[in-house]
Amino acid sequence: MSTLHVLSHSPFGDERLTSCLRLLGAADALLLSGDAAYALQPGTAPFSALESRKVKLFVLAEDAQARAVQIPDWAEAIDYPAFVELSIHHDKVNSWL
Amino acid sequence: MAKSLLIISRQSPWSGPGAREALDIVLAGGAFDLPISLLFLDDGVLQLAAGQNAKALQQKDLSANLQALPMFGVEELFYCAESASARGLGDRSLDEAQPLAAEQITALIDRYDQVITL
Repeated sequence: MSTLHVLSHSPFGDERLTSCLRLLGAADALLLSGDAAYALQPGTAPFSALESRKVKLFVLAEDAQARAVQIPDWAEAIDYPAFVELSIHHDKVNSWL
Repeated sequence: MAKSLLIISRQSPWSGPGAREALDIVLAGGAFDLPISLLFLDDGVLQLAAGQNAKALQQKDLSANLQALPMFGVEELFYCAESASARGLGDRSLDEAQPLAAEQITALIDRYDQVITL
């Protein structure tokens, strides 16, 4: 069973990313949307946590572009149709509201 | 066969309507005999603290809703052990709630058809 975890809140001053990384299963993937894209700011704690965790990581390209966040090569930038495909590809989607 | 549902409640009891709304989903699901379970995570574990006094805030507390869960057929209640110890959670209400380690929570999420995190 695989779960796509979707985060949309800024990782600074918020525990969602930390808790999500703690619970993430081996077959799971993580999608950053909205302010969660700030987790890819280089030199920050969320950036290091994601980089060292080697998680299957996706980010909505337009949300990263809008925030001037560079996408590292270990994350995959996707558009909305790809987001839909990703949702279908996993058994369930867990949105951290 | 109805789809099974796991609700993950992450809000502290006094931070806004989130905690109550998560409980309402669980109680409604239980009333309709859905296979439904509840996990308290992060600040959500603070909902379990014994001895909360809502009168000081002139609000209703959630303890009555929590105690109703087993009566509504919600048998599986869990909380994240790590979240609880990080917050110094001592005496708990709701004896039915079981502590889970991170890898047990991963397995728990796998078991359910759908997950809602509030």
